[in-house]
Amino acid sequence: MLLSFVQWLQFTGFFTALRGSAYAYPIVLSLHMIGIALFGGMVLMTDLRLLGWAMRKRSMSDVVDQFRVPKRWGLLLTVTCGFLMFGSKAEEYYYNSFFRTKLILLALVLVQELVFYRGVYANPAALDQAVRTPVTAKLAAAVSMLLWISIACCGRGIGYIEPPLDKIHAQLLPRSTYEGETAICFLSNPTP
Amino acid sequence: MLITNPLNSSALVFPTLECFHIVGFALSIGTIAMVDFSLLGIGMRRQSPAQLAKDTWLWTLGGLVIMLFSGLLLFSSDPDMYYLNWPFLIKMVFFVSAVIFHYTVHRKAVASDTPPNGKLVAWVSLALWSGVIFGGVFIGFVYPGLSLG
Repeated sequence: MLLSFVQWLQFTGFFTALRGSAYAYPIVLSLHMIGIALFGGMVLMTDLRLLGWAMRKRSMSDVVDQFRVPKRWGLLLTVTCGFLMFGSKAEEYYYNSFFRTKLILLALVLVQELVFYRGVYANPAALDQAVRTPVTAKLAAAVSMLLWISIACCGRGIGYIEPPLDKIHAQLLPRSTYEGETAICFLSNPTP
Repeated sequence: MLITNPLNSSALVFPTLECFHIVGFALSIGTIAMVDFSLLGIGMRRQSPAQLAKDTWLWTLGGLVIMLFSGLLLFSSDPDMYYLNWPFLIKMVFFVSAVIFHYTVHRKAVASDTPPNGKLVAWVSLALWSGVIFGGVFIGFVYPGLSLG
């Protein structure tokens, strides 16, 4: 069922057109990376503050609160671009182990949020009042950093797995060659 | 070739370095962008740009160092290819300009409490660092001597 969904998705008019453009994929990937710089930078600084390693002169509530909204915009940009890339080659991503791992880790981020939201992120002012930073806040930060860095690494790994060509229905055309290597690009929609 | 770069002996080294490169640029470009947004008056309401820069400069520098060293090692894996790769060359122009801009004009503007051209400086900074990212991504999509597409 999931497989037929990703096949349907990549052959919708929009994603077929996206796949057919040589420029679209790298441009969307660049915007994805810009989103990572914005979102990732703010996640890292928030986590480093909770751990007590960065921005120590600033209260935790200041740091958590001022990054909250821009962080969401950064995440929105990253996720939107990520979805565009996924949609254009959905079937290939479906088989990609790094992509699958990345989705599992993203689900774990949701779990992390559910576990720590109330105690840590929703009320950072309480953290400042405590004599010592509560262990839960530090744990939340450590888990968050570990998950997000792993997600970024899995994202990079996606590009290193060769697609199972016998199972992919999006048309593969040899494009340019360099030193005998064949680059493959995904073009238009053949009838599956 | 007389000397074999140990980097090319394992398939895992290059992607691992790329991961360091990504974390390095998230840290450096991310913190620089925060200061730029602060200059633009977008978010970051609890601190002045100068305070924010004071709190983050060391992490910016740390991120730059990670990014630069991992980048040099990545480059060493196949220098000829990078030398012929036009997005790489454009990226280097953007990178050198962005670093120089960051430690001269940008630093001065951020340090003064009421920078006259604060918004312009922020936009230039964001544009230069975006150029670095675009160049970096396009490296992998172009083959030397062949145009894209």
